[in-house]
Amino acid sequence: MSNMKSRSLLVAIAMAFTSPLFAGDDPVHERHELMEGVGDAAKPIGQMLKGERDFDAGVVMASFETFGEASAKFGGLFPPGSETGEGTEAAPAIWEDRDGFEQALATWAEAVDAAIAAQPQTLEATKPVAGEIFKACKGCHDNYRIEDE
Amino acid sequence: MPGNRILRALAALIAVAFAAGWWLTRPLTIAPADLPDHEPDRAAGERIFWAGGCASCHASPVDGKRAKGDDKLLLGGGLELDTPYGVFRVPNISSHPGDGIGTWALVDFVNAMQRGVSPDGLHYYPSFPYTSYARMPVADVMDLKAFLDSLPPVAGRVAPHSLGFPWSVRRGIGAWKRKYLDLTPIAPGGSSELVERGRQLVEGAGHCGECHTPRDRFGGLLRDRWLAGAQNPEGKGRVPNITPGGKNISGWSAADIAYYLESGFTPEFDTVGGSMVAVQENLSKLSGEDREAIAAYLKALPALD
Repeated sequence: MSNMKSRSLLVAIAMAFTSPLFAGDDPVHERHELMEGVGDAAKPIGQMLKGERDFDAGVVMASFETFGEASAKFGGLFPPGSETGEGTEAAPAIWEDRDGFEQALATWAEAVDAAIAAQPQTLEATKPVAGEIFKACKGCHDNYRIEDE
Repeated sequence: MPGNRILRALAALIAVAFAAGWWLTRPLTIAPADLPDHEPDRAAGERIFWAGGCASCHASPVDGKRAKGDDKLLLGGGLELDTPYGVFRVPNISSHPGDGIGTWALVDFVNAMQRGVSPDGLHYYPSFPYTSYARMPVADVMDLKAFLDSLPPVAGRVAPHSLGFPWSVRRGIGAWKRKYLDLTPIAPGGSSELVERGRQLVEGAGHCGECHTPRDRFGGLLRDRWLAGAQNPEGKGRVPNITPGGKNISGWSAADIAYYLESGFTPEFDTVGGSMVAVQENLSKLSGEDREAIAAYLKALPALD
């Protein structure tokens, strides 16, 4: 009887120490992956704007949806304690100027919402709404991402 | 007494050595008569202003940060550059008569920009990239003066630099210039008009080499590593290799480069970052042809890895 209890206790302790692996509690990795997905979704739109790719409203909307999902999750992936590690490109300004960062996130989310609401069906209609999103990307990156080449 | 003769000989030797040194480090300037017969063009000067990135150093910081928008036209200086040589403080070049360059003659401005010499005959430190600006057509510098004259006066002189010894000996720059103030074009030339236009922008006003080219121990550019990447003078990290041989942009087309300079987006739709943000914002104000010219020049460079 006491053997089983000790074993359960041991297993419980082991799980407590390794739970971060199970819970996916690695914000640095998750936010990096999220941003990679955003970049992958941005590329076809950019290529359409540059005239390197045929316009496709379906692809555009799918990318907008990707942006929307990412922007909803992104802000929550910068808890205290995740400032460094795993080659993160998160600038200290994210924690030092949290209000500014939240503002940049809000700007991004608003631009994405507006784009989704617009449901552009032509390249001409896509240009302004996509442009606002790209402006938001750049605006946030300029202040809250470090270049570490 | 023989001692006296030796002392006198020594004194004479020192005097001669000093005179020789003084002569070797003398400022070399352009005379007013050497200026070309060109009517300065304010509108053309604005193009040079953005290509030259004047605002990125000379616009007064706002709330401790680099100026944005219209504040970029307030050239009161004050930005501090923390370098291994000490702290450089960027001067006021607004049209203010007392605190800026409002009283300067055209030839004073040309000598500052292209010979690194002040109206008082003092050498400027090459943190002011006159070694690049020296390769600009003189007419472009004259146009730039017309544009600067039209910008608002900003009051306030900036404190002098705080440099360590021996960099604090300003006269020494005269010797440095004898080797490093070199007006000859760098990359091999002659491919096309577009590439030549790109050369003028990159090797001259654009002063791209000042960041993208490595330096030797005296702070001079290594011309045989032109644009092949260097330590970031403004902080940590490296400034990329932008020749066709580097891994940074070798896969980019000329159109990709031109688009990046216009929009700040790479072909993968990542955004420009770090010190290049200000440069890209300046270059976004140029014409599409100017950006294409820069791209064509970069694609035509000798590939260095």
